[in-house]
Amino acid sequence: MPINLKTSVVESREQRLGTIIGWDGKASDLSKESAYARGGCESKCGQKARRVCELNSPFTQGSVCSEQMVECQAGNVRDAVLIQHSPIGCGTGQVIYNSIYRNGLALRGLPVSNLHLISTNLGERDMVFGGVAKLERTIRDAWDRHHPKAIFIATSCATAIIGDDIESVAGQLETELGIPVIPLHCEGFKSKHWSTGFDATQHGILRQIVRKVPEKKQDDLVNVINLWGSDVFTPILAELGLRVNYVVDLATVEDLAQMSEAVATIGFCYTLSSYMAAALEQEFGVTEVKAPQPYGFAGTDAWLREIARVTNREGRAEDYIAREHARVQPRLEELRELLKGKKGYVSTGSAYAHGLIGVLRELGVEVDGSLVFHHDPVYDSQDPRQDSLAHLLDTYGEVPQFTVGNRQQYQFYALLQRVKPDFIIIRHNGLAPLAARLGIPAIPLGDEHHAVGYQGILNLGESILDVLAHKKFHQDLAAHVRLPYRKWWLEQDDPFVLARPAAE
Amino acid sequence: MSIIQSQDKSAVAHPGPDKTNSIEQVRYGCSIGAMQSVAAIPRAIPITHCGPGCADKQFMNLSFYNGFQGGGYGGGAVVPSTNASEREVVFGGADRLTELIGATLKVLDADLFVVLTGCISDLVGDDVGSVVKPFQQRGVPIVFAETGGFRGNNFTGHELVTRAIIDQFVGAYEGERVKGQVNVWSLLPYHNTFWRGDLTEIKRILEGIGLKVNILFGPESSGVAEWKAIPQAQFNLVLGPWLGLETARHLEAKYGQPFLHTPVLPIGAKETGAFLRRVLDYAGLNKGRAKKKAEAFIKDEETRYYKYIEDFTDFYAEYWWGLPAKFAVVGDSAYALALTRFLVNQLGLIPGRQIVTDNPPEEVRDDIRAQFRAIADDVSTEIEFEEDSFTIHQKLRETNFGHKPPIIFGTTWERDLAKELKGAIVEVGFPSSYEVVLSRAYVGYRGALTLLEKIYTTTVGASA
Repeated sequence: MPINLKTSVVESREQRLGTIIGWDGKASDLSKESAYARGGCESKCGQKARRVCELNSPFTQGSVCSEQMVECQAGNVRDAVLIQHSPIGCGTGQVIYNSIYRNGLALRGLPVSNLHLISTNLGERDMVFGGVAKLERTIRDAWDRHHPKAIFIATSCATAIIGDDIESVAGQLETELGIPVIPLHCEGFKSKHWSTGFDATQHGILRQIVRKVPEKKQDDLVNVINLWGSDVFTPILAELGLRVNYVVDLATVEDLAQMSEAVATIGFCYTLSSYMAAALEQEFGVTEVKAPQPYGFAGTDAWLREIARVTNREGRAEDYIAREHARVQPRLEELRELLKGKKGYVSTGSAYAHGLIGVLRELGVEVDGSLVFHHDPVYDSQDPRQDSLAHLLDTYGEVPQFTVGNRQQYQFYALLQRVKPDFIIIRHNGLAPLAARLGIPAIPLGDEHHAVGYQGILNLGESILDVLAHKKFHQDLAAHVRLPYRKWWLEQDDPFVLARPAAE
Repeated sequence: MSIIQSQDKSAVAHPGPDKTNSIEQVRYGCSIGAMQSVAAIPRAIPITHCGPGCADKQFMNLSFYNGFQGGGYGGGAVVPSTNASEREVVFGGADRLTELIGATLKVLDADLFVVLTGCISDLVGDDVGSVVKPFQQRGVPIVFAETGGFRGNNFTGHELVTRAIIDQFVGAYEGERVKGQVNVWSLLPYHNTFWRGDLTEIKRILEGIGLKVNILFGPESSGVAEWKAIPQAQFNLVLGPWLGLETARHLEAKYGQPFLHTPVLPIGAKETGAFLRRVLDYAGLNKGRAKKKAEAFIKDEETRYYKYIEDFTDFYAEYWWGLPAKFAVVGDSAYALALTRFLVNQLGLIPGRQIVTDNPPEEVRDDIRAQFRAIADDVSTEIEFEEDSFTIHQKLRETNFGHKPPIIFGTTWERDLAKELKGAIVEVGFPSSYEVVLSRAYVGYRGALTLLEKIYTTTVGASA
């Protein structure tokens, strides 16, 4: 279904893609139930994404909200300001996203500074009388203090419920200040999964920052939709004579504006890039590269060939692919030997997990289970070449214990008991602390590019060796802690037992 | 409960005409951040009735990226949460909360559950009391507090949660008081990065002078049994400029239990000795064998303390490459006051700028100002109440620190500013994203020595 940029409110993931947050079974079954259903999507999807049966448990633990994803995207644009129109609690996130921002800047070799997030700090009176006057004051503060190239406004649960007219203030000040003032509708309660927050940010950027009439076509510029990861794409794309335009984190407003002038758009994870890449193609004819994601040999090969094809550089990819295969092979053989018999478990975002499981299988690590934080039965392009789960299954075979859950630690216990991994790979917080208490070390992938491409296979292998040594720490800990879970719960084999009618 | 009925004690919603409402680079969380006060009670677990991001936000920032303190027993970001959706906004969330509490009791094992509400529940008017009551009547150890973020900051939330536990869990008490037993109300757990170590030291020194101490929060607390014992205590001790005063007044009204308010958290031998003697007097332990025992403890601690200070003196007197003379403090009122007294009176440093960032209630601000004006016999200093870091940093830039750069006692937000001023930074408050803190304390006898190590390792570590 086409992306609608006419309204200022983004359509949520569940509306567009049929996103689910509770499912348990074989990966191949999830693939069959998903909208791609082996390539037949275009005709079957119609205007609405296909529904996958979802498990809803009465017990839920703290998740993550869309506004947080807005903070970590719009809030990390270097020459913009993000205003959090909310009581002070939403602003608490400034601390973590500042730490991420600073480390991201350092990773990219950019000058390190604090991020620019400002809370309107609404109180009780504002809940009764409205917070619009404070929003106006804060927009003016943002301008006076930083003279940003753009001002983003993140809404909150509170301002949505009291019905603040954010659009009017934003429109008025956009005219007055002469910079984009962009409302991002990202109330936590509006979507069951936080990835809608990625889309909300991208929606606002597409509507109000991206140049509607490109000044010049930049035939060698490729948009890379990522977070704050290290710069691994520049050297790879340089082999094809292409330049990188990293967005959204750590980008400048001009980097965002020129996205419509690029020749193509790629990413490290379709969960993150789906919305903006599809919209850039739909609105500006910037080709979204539709290929497996750049993980493992097969994925990276196909991905590079497709980038080369859509940018008319086909000849240049093959030489690079051959060289890289040869380069990584010796160490890969050693790593495979060292990792023989080891079991891994991946618990990360959805499409990203599909890629990481492939890398583990390349390394010879057994992966019998994985927990993904949500599942999109289809991505925005609806193009089956982007079916990352099918690519995983076709290339590396079945994942027998495949689970969808939005970071529910209580379910993670049974999931780990099923497969008894030697280590886990994680991104979001909240799961590794449990694994640690069970004696299982975790690899936290702060740099999301760590496992990308051919070098990524080696990187991940080395990280596994490092973390297996940590086992000593975790096993010592496991002998000395008590979990907060009841014995009855720890005895359950089925992590979704509470979601099934028989449980009552 | 509707929002009109609640009590907004903080000044959060009432900036003056030229004072902006904006807060850039936050220095506190919101009321539901008091979920961390629950997490600070051994084997207590918060149940959060709020949007899907609230618990994660409060925990990840107040605890994780603030000294990397950990999630404790209940799990930090993944404590039970309704993760309220559109349905709870449109139709109300009472049914969903009932369902969550029921399921929580099946899954989690705790001695006390505390339901905390967020903005959504408080705005749509969920009757949370009616949800919780049937569980209480069944004997489930569960209480609730309405902590929607717009009600104020996490200091406000802390007093709401404390009161909820006292009124709904501790309950009525008709028995005897135990002489020499004290309830301590002091630092805000987790928000104060060093609260665990500090409360441990406070308990140690109070026990040292012969008291039986209900420390209530942190690793030295015995959990809900200690909370149940609150009414038995001879008195309450409010240790800090203002946090806990409301609780102490409530306990006075509820149980007729008196309280002693000592605004200065003691750092160093001089302050700590004076503090302990004041508590002794108040507790009526200042005579006979009790006094003798207490004095022996103080003397013993002082001997050890001054031995280390004596050794430190060689460095302090002889180090060639420059030590800071003027300092700035940016922090919550408890630490700002305690540090200023120690730095001025123990080390002889010169106060340059003092900014208090925890938004204390209006009625206590004059008392706090008075404390700073009487920092020493011969030193008086003015403070400012400010929470917006942009404004705070402007004030620091405009401060004349004299002929050499200052040492700033602040937060991660001051890290770049310290560099800009060519000074040093010691992160002592929320957020301290560049500190890994386990049991470190900065108060009392032992904490003071650790603080000296921290200050001068920072200084010497930056030398050539």
